Amino acid sequence: MGRRREFTLLFVIAALAIVLAAAAPGYFARENLSDLFLANMPVLVVALGTTLVILTGNIDISVGSVFAICSIVAGVVAKTSGSIALASVAACSVGAALGALNGSLVAYLRMPSIVVTLATMVALRDALRWWTQGAWVQDLPRGFQWFGLPQSAYPIVACVVVIVLQSFTAWIMRNVAAGRAVYATGSNEDAARLAGLGIARVKLAVFVAAGAFTGVAALVNSVRFNQIPSNAGIGLEMKVIAAAIVGGAAVRGGEGSFTGTLLGVVLLGMIGPALTFLGVSAYWERTLQGAIILAAIAVDAIRERRSYHAAIAAGPSAGASGELRAGPA
Amino acid sequence: MRRWTAGELILLGALAAEVLLFSAIARNFFTLGNFFEIVRLSVELGLLAIALTPVIVAGGIDLSVGSMMGLAAVLFGAAYHEWGFSIAGSAAVAIAAGAAGGALNAWLVARLNVPPLIVTLGTFSLFRGIAEGLTQGAVNYTDFPAHFLWFGQGYLWGVVPTQLPLFAIVLAAYAVLLHRSVAGRAWYVIGFTPAGARYAGIPVERRVGTLYLLSGIISSIAAIVYVAHLGQAKSDAGTGYELDAITAVVLGGTSVFGGRGTVYGTVLGLFALAVLRNGLHLAALPSELAGVLTGTLLIATIAIDRLRAATLGAPRREASPGTGEGAGEVDVRNSQVAVLCATIVAGSLIVAGTNVWLVRSLRSPGGPAAAAGPSFTGTPARRPVIAMMPKAKGDPYFVSCRVGAEEAAQELGVDLIWDGPTSLDAARQNELVENWITRKVDVIAVAVENRGGISSVLRKARSRGIRVLTWDADAEPDARDFFVNQATAEGIGNTLTDEAARLLGGKGEFAIITGALSAANQNEWIAFIKKRLAEKYPNLKLATIRPSDDDRDKAFAETQTIMRVFPNVKLVMAISAPAVPGSAEAVRQANRRDVNVIGLSLPNMNKPYVHDGWVQTVVLWNTKDLGYLTVLAGSLLTQNRITPSTTSFEAGRLGAIQIRGTEIVLGAPVMFTKANIDKFNF
Repeated sequence: MGRRREFTLLFVIAALAIVLAAAAPGYFARENLSDLFLANMPVLVVALGTTLVILTGNIDISVGSVFAICSIVAGVVAKTSGSIALASVAACSVGAALGALNGSLVAYLRMPSIVVTLATMVALRDALRWWTQGAWVQDLPRGFQWFGLPQSAYPIVACVVVIVLQSFTAWIMRNVAAGRAVYATGSNEDAARLAGLGIARVKLAVFVAAGAFTGVAALVNSVRFNQIPSNAGIGLEMKVIAAAIVGGAAVRGGEGSFTGTLLGVVLLGMIGPALTFLGVSAYWERTLQGAIILAAIAVDAIRERRSYHAAIAAGPSAGASGELRAGPA
Repeated sequence: MRRWTAGELILLGALAAEVLLFSAIARNFFTLGNFFEIVRLSVELGLLAIALTPVIVAGGIDLSVGSMMGLAAVLFGAAYHEWGFSIAGSAAVAIAAGAAGGALNAWLVARLNVPPLIVTLGTFSLFRGIAEGLTQGAVNYTDFPAHFLWFGQGYLWGVVPTQLPLFAIVLAAYAVLLHRSVAGRAWYVIGFTPAGARYAGIPVERRVGTLYLLSGIISSIAAIVYVAHLGQAKSDAGTGYELDAITAVVLGGTSVFGGRGTVYGTVLGLFALAVLRNGLHLAALPSELAGVLTGTLLIATIAIDRLRAATLGAPRREASPGTGEGAGEVDVRNSQVAVLCATIVAGSLIVAGTNVWLVRSLRSPGGPAAAAGPSFTGTPARRPVIAMMPKAKGDPYFVSCRVGAEEAAQELGVDLIWDGPTSLDAARQNELVENWITRKVDVIAVAVENRGGISSVLRKARSRGIRVLTWDADAEPDARDFFVNQATAEGIGNTLTDEAARLLGGKGEFAIITGALSAANQNEWIAFIKKRLAEKYPNLKLATIRPSDDDRDKAFAETQTIMRVFPNVKLVMAISAPAVPGSAEAVRQANRRDVNVIGLSLPNMNKPYVHDGWVQTVVLWNTKDLGYLTVLAGSLLTQNRITPSTTSFEAGRLGAIQIRGTEIVLGAPVMFTKANIDKFNF
């Protein structure tokens, strides 16, 4: 039941891949796949954090602004101190700090997360504009690009970072009490509290994690270049939320998996270039993107509806309405 | 008479604080005319916010309203100009589209039970995508009849904006619907507990469906008002409005968990935002503050509301589905809280305001020494105020223009107000000009984003005795005194095409990376590039045009894809400032020495690539000089030292400057190459 969305996604991805293999085999060239991976890796890392937040029934739309701030911070620190390690630490901790700001407002003042992060999204973006006045960070130290590694080695490093983050998060969510607490908080907050879980701490923790992940993403994205623009990450929140939700995370919380999010990022990330390969004009791309998302979801919903009716016909104990699902079984 | 709820009282306090503060520090803020102007500028957003209120009350969300505006605007324009409909017929087409889009949302949300956030995230892309596809991003419908434009720009009885009655009608209708009807009660119940609503026998599916249908229809009405207001219909209408509208609704006390909120609160929230923006403009404080303060206001209002709920020991979940019933608390506390809140917000506004003022006054020390320039001794009593607007404030291109503008302002002893939209936004430009008219500045200089839309408001400025300049991009010739012309679109298009032909030896394929697909400037250049190709270079083939959305990283990824899909492309022409380094980096990382990169960009961000030979040529004019010349021309205008019969004038460090007709010509574009790029620093 809980895996259904992932199969739908796999099916859509496979269908797209078959079309591509037939019409534009160049898509599967090693370099192209490597480029695609590098382009979508930051999205994936941010999406992991966003999934965590969504699992608790909250949402974070400030990630785009946090991403931009972390990028600039990484650049400025690298430039002034000359140390890449220090820049990395700075980017992640600024991300975590901004996440903590969101998180404490949500967790301790019990403000709705969409309001808090809407406010921080707007405020942080404009504060950054004011601070940088649109200037880019230039003249970065030599060792900044690709962490000073050769260009060919960087995809491997990035791959390792992503795999570690993805599997580590997934493992925690599945096997550690803290991870289960996230699912518990999201599926039924009152029950979780009555069971003795510190709801506020869980919420704070996921926002801090989301902020830190955004910092990591900003870092691994910035080092692909040798200067840092001040307008990075505009619209990033839409991308990652779409990926997580298409990947099966339920906005009401308690439901969703990191594999689903991964597949969501893969699908949304491959559509754009795929349409170019297939010769679709850029002007119709957004239409097709929207249509593919809606189609995937509608198919899923129609199937669920059908099985729901079937379950009702089968008897009351089938429990297909899915009210008390607790994450990946 | 209904009672105000606590949340509304808090907001009312904040609004009062804003009004008090801006009356004290902003020129011409506290006037009847300005208040009506605020209302006019908030109508489109207000319509969306009102339509969104019951959606959010019922526990849903609609992110597609802004995109629906874009689609409805484009269909309205197409129906009128291409399909031969009358204005009424076109309006019907637009509203039908709104209804269809709303019905799609309704079907997916109500029928298929998909969470509204997902559905409207999908239709958010879909609607905007269709609008872009239909117009190829470029078509901009203008030339609407005067009686239709009057509906968006005119006045009733000399002072009331014409769209105000429509707004009032929609507001009244929604107030009745939400607060006085069976359906309204049902929406509250659904928002409070969907399952309970079902058990209570409420037709949940139908009630929820109605909401999304209505929100689609209202969005299309907002689109029609927008078209009448700006005089243009383009696919980017309403970009980002969904977030502004949601902000207004939430600020107005509607709970995003559903079950609580009123349209009155939404209207208060709307005006709290609009007054803030208007006041900042009239006080000549930078636009970026609006975002920072909006965020602060949002958090402060909700936090105080929450704290109040906590201190009163109210249950964690909102007390009641209704509006007033929850407020059975002691009234004294409410007012105390309202006062507290007002004090805090006023305090933060004052602190922020004074800080900015301090910074500003430090940055531009307009001392008497600066004012007494050698040849420009103006009246010492009052320094002329020149208000200068870029297309987008954060854009590095305009930032470098500003450097020159500030330099000229210092030299000449004029006060420079530099402000503009934080991202490309035609509606914001109009709003700012309106505010500057109210503020009564001496000269308005605008880098025009949308020619048709801004001309009417610039004419209004001229009729009030304000001298008007356009720079960077022109408005209608009769809407301004002079146009400071850095280079014509044709000149840019030809220069770029000739350069591409030179590098490719007159034959081969090349690709264009543009800004946003709907960017007006870029589309004009592309049109001239295509024309030049057809006329002069039959063997040169334009393989594809890809968008970068002015995002360096996106330009990078698009260039990588182009090099794969079109292996014969030997030149990438990037015509958006951040796109050139993006493309260059992609070519560098792929180590494709055979691919040239040229484009329109700033020297500084391209220096490393030019020196390493990845970028061959960057075409631009001296942006600092452009800013300098604009302020100088504005200053001369206030002294009547240039008139339409002037053919040239002495422009400080720039030497003699030509005037052709009503165009002040900066000079030819500069080609930055390895040889000369280090001489420029911007």
